[in-house]
Amino acid sequence: MTTSVVRDEAREPVASHTAARIVDGVKIYGEGATLVRALDGVTADFATGEFCAVMGPSGSGKSTLLHCLAGLDHLTSGQVLIDDVDLSRLNDKAMTLIRRDRLGFVFQSFNLVPTLTAEENILLPLTLAGRKPDRGWFEALVTSLGIGDRLRHRPSELSGGQQQRVAMGRALITRPALIFADEPTGNLDSRAANDLLEQMRATVDELGQTVVMVTHDAHGASYADRLLFLADGQVVEELHAPDKDTILDTIRKLGD
Amino acid sequence: MWRVTLRGLFAHKVRYALTALAVLLGVAFMAGTFVFTDTIKHTFDGLFNDVYRNTSAVVRAKQPFTPGANFSNQRRLIDADLVTKVWQVPGVTDISVGVEGYAQLVGRDGDAIGNPAAGAPTLGEAWTSGADRMEPYRFAEGRPPRTHNEVAIDKHSADVGNLEVGDRVTVLTKRQPREYTITGIVRWGTADSPLGASITLFDLATAERVLAEPGRADEIDVAAAPGVSQEQMADRLRAALANPRLEVVTATKVTQEGQTSIHQALAFFDAFLLVFAGIALFVGSFLIFNTFSIVVAQRMRELALLRAVGASRAQVIVSVLGESLLVGLVASAVGLGVGVGLAVGLKALLAAFGFAIPSSGLLVTFRTVLASIVVGVTISLAAALMPAWKAGRIAPVAAMRDVEVGGETRKVRRSVCGAALLAVGAGLLLVGLFAGVPHPMTYVGAGAATFFVGIAVAGPLIARPLCRVIGAPLSWRRTGRLARNNAMRNPKRTAASAAALTIGVALVAVISVMAASTKSSIASVVDSSMRADFVVTGAGQPGGMSGFSPTLARRLEALPEVASATGIRSGAVRISGSTSVVLAVDPRHVDDLFDIDLRQGDLTEMGSTGIAISQQIADADHLGLGDRLPVAFTTSGTHDFTVQAIYGARSLAGDYVLPVAAARRHFRSQLDFQVYARLAPGVAAATGRSAIDQVLSGYPNATLMDRTEYKHAQEAQIDQLLGLMYGLLGLALLIALIGIANTLALSIYERTHELGLLRAVGMTRRQLRAVVRGESVVIALLGTVQGLVAGVLLGWAVVTALESQGVTRLSVPVSQLAIVGVLAVLAGVVAAAAPARRATHLDVLRAISHH
Repeated sequence: MTTSVVRDEAREPVASHTAARIVDGVKIYGEGATLVRALDGVTADFATGEFCAVMGPSGSGKSTLLHCLAGLDHLTSGQVLIDDVDLSRLNDKAMTLIRRDRLGFVFQSFNLVPTLTAEENILLPLTLAGRKPDRGWFEALVTSLGIGDRLRHRPSELSGGQQQRVAMGRALITRPALIFADEPTGNLDSRAANDLLEQMRATVDELGQTVVMVTHDAHGASYADRLLFLADGQVVEELHAPDKDTILDTIRKLGD
Repeated sequence: MWRVTLRGLFAHKVRYALTALAVLLGVAFMAGTFVFTDTIKHTFDGLFNDVYRNTSAVVRAKQPFTPGANFSNQRRLIDADLVTKVWQVPGVTDISVGVEGYAQLVGRDGDAIGNPAAGAPTLGEAWTSGADRMEPYRFAEGRPPRTHNEVAIDKHSADVGNLEVGDRVTVLTKRQPREYTITGIVRWGTADSPLGASITLFDLATAERVLAEPGRADEIDVAAAPGVSQEQMADRLRAALANPRLEVVTATKVTQEGQTSIHQALAFFDAFLLVFAGIALFVGSFLIFNTFSIVVAQRMRELALLRAVGASRAQVIVSVLGESLLVGLVASAVGLGVGVGLAVGLKALLAAFGFAIPSSGLLVTFRTVLASIVVGVTISLAAALMPAWKAGRIAPVAAMRDVEVGGETRKVRRSVCGAALLAVGAGLLLVGLFAGVPHPMTYVGAGAATFFVGIAVAGPLIARPLCRVIGAPLSWRRTGRLARNNAMRNPKRTAASAAALTIGVALVAVISVMAASTKSSIASVVDSSMRADFVVTGAGQPGGMSGFSPTLARRLEALPEVASATGIRSGAVRISGSTSVVLAVDPRHVDDLFDIDLRQGDLTEMGSTGIAISQQIADADHLGLGDRLPVAFTTSGTHDFTVQAIYGARSLAGDYVLPVAAARRHFRSQLDFQVYARLAPGVAAATGRSAIDQVLSGYPNATLMDRTEYKHAQEAQIDQLLGLMYGLLGLALLIALIGIANTLALSIYERTHELGLLRAVGMTRRQLRAVVRGESVVIALLGTVQGLVAGVLLGWAVVTALESQGVTRLSVPVSQLAIVGVLAVLAGVVAAAAPARRATHLDVLRAISHH
């Protein structure tokens, strides 16, 4: 398959240090009186191997940014590049294949298919692509996620934390260029949330994975390498290796 | 609460629209039947009133018993010169002599017009000159026949046969076929012909000769002077004639008889259609039940919230029932309208089969309106009762919790209820089929309905394992497993959707098994009992008025290529309290042409007062050789016959066989409805056939068939009926498919988030469509498999019960049933089309957003 060729090329460090890029991203909803500029000229790079968090108040456009980056939504104008591929030029099918082969997702909830076992959920993107899983990679993943003994269970038989770790497994199984996480800890208790954040940190540090996470939780954001603040559809602040206090200060500062 | 009900309805219009469609179709079918039959009844009531509007009283032969609506005129003939006596009765102003008999026109293309063996009768009648105002016919063109060379014909036949006034036309009667000149074309009141029958009018003397016997007639119609009532005229006639073998009845009575016989004929048709309307409504009720169950489950939080803010349990129940009431009302009202349209279609359909129905406005009675609304609303309410009750039981706290839609099945209770319903249903069925109770069809219908409800109740218990097996071939595909799992995840829902299809498919299977068994039984009777090489058919059916002139059998037998030929006659008799059609044969020829499976006695030696009976009747009535058996005839009253033979071939010959000598003496019709022939030894089939064909060229209504062709012809008749029933069941199947589509649509609505997730992680639209389609196919196959199993079992029971009716062989049409299976898969694909479209066009973003 050509996708595997693309992926191997993408793995070449010389070819690109940028996993994803958004250039002059504008997203407009509605028209006339109800017109909303959800994204108002956002430009950002997401480097390979980086854990980047996005924060911002409700309506700041952080979810829209994530959706457009992830190929779930189209920009009104501007460009999104994943592995140097311009998403705005793709039709639904090609976009779907990019999502399946190059991207991973972890959502707040509704994260797993209830009729499939944990193992089937993890392997789902490969199953959909009709590809044989790399058993070694699969074993390594479930061991590191600590769900090796839950593989035969259905989602309804798993705790919220376990479900999110299965979702992580699913996101990682294709060795995607990029993982998007949309408030992944939103429905978890603090212990499970910490576990998951550690897990995400580990995939970045140990596997060189790229992660973009939208959150409104300062504690969660403190796990990131870089933190973007959005307000009114624009990037208003950027922090590197932020700690919790700096984040809270910035939130306060932006709130004024 | 009404506001909540209305909001609930509008919020979910699509799902209710499909539910309403199910009710609508059933109600439309029912209303259409009512409108159609009411219209026909009304039209013919009017026409019959018109026929006798100038007649006061009718003189005719007294009939010892009334043979029933599906017999032609079986009355004895009366002397035509009674007219002289009637003229002397004071107050008589006009007399019309009625003569009726078989007469069939041959069209310009040389083909006989009409087929009395399978359609409306072909009749000849007398035109009494000078009593025109008493005749039911009006001349559209030309004038009445005046000589023995002239006829007038009905407009319908003239149109069909491309015949015009002045044309020469061949007419087949009990005599030799011969040519007449058409002097006129008539209409029957406002209709082109009575019920599509073909009519040939002769002058009185000719009619007596070719339709009855010279000097004999069927009835004398009398017109009275003004001021003389029908009763007075009848009394005067009775007194003047003073003949115990005659009866005098008022024109009103004769009109009523005609109307009643039409009503009776329609009652069967009515019941036949209403059964199918009932099936459609029954299937529709499953759809309603399922929709409301799903909607209540999906709205659990909303309903719980209502309870939490103070709605009583009763209020919640009433609000759900209110929704079903509105759905039922709207669907019934629209269904009624559609039904009127359907009635127009039915009329056209019947006309296509040769039963022309005079044009008139459609009659929508208050009864039709009331029945449509009441039935539609009742079905909707009844089907929503259980879901409404469940809605009432939702705890207020459910509003605060995240509850999984669709609860657990209570296995024990469900098994017990299901088994009990299945047992009761099977019991009622068996009672109806085998116990010989009065109104057996009521038991069979109630039993089948109960049985099907039992399947629906027990369904969820077996749905999961069955889906696993049925879906197994799907699971080699990546999307197939998802599809199968989806079908298995809510067994209650899957089972209820499948149950509707189960009913339709089961009924298809039952009638397929019945038809196949009947065909195979007929084939075996022909194979084992028919020694004749050829049979001539096409002229009529047992108990009818039409047939072949007896000259045909004689001319065939005279052929050197033919060893033996005989005609079969039929007539209505009453033996041991029951009326039936019996066959009469020439005893000398029976052995040559049939293997009647003689058990005792000798048929060939049967005298004119001898009778042969079946072994079953001999056993049941304890009759033996030499016993006396009184037989009542419509023409001549009761006569004693002696049992001279007992035979086994009941499916061939019926319970009684009379010698042709008795038929000549006592039957009204002296025509053969079939003629059998056996070739002389050494004559090749082709040679014999061409010799016989030569004779038949003078009988355009005759169809010559060898044994194989005869079998095929019989099978074709059954296939025609089968096709009609398939067509009528099609509606129930359509409703079942709507049900599956509806369930899928509701499930997809419910799984929005899940589908969004699948799309987000890379499922293509094509794959998603395949998943929805796969689920639909699994549900459709589940229903079909259940239906086939239930249907074959049911068919087996029915065939066993019909053994005494001559269905002696059980035949399961495997290839036909396999086709049903294939169609089910296709149907599943079709049903999935709209829901799959909806699923693939889902807005992924909105689906996964949790805000």
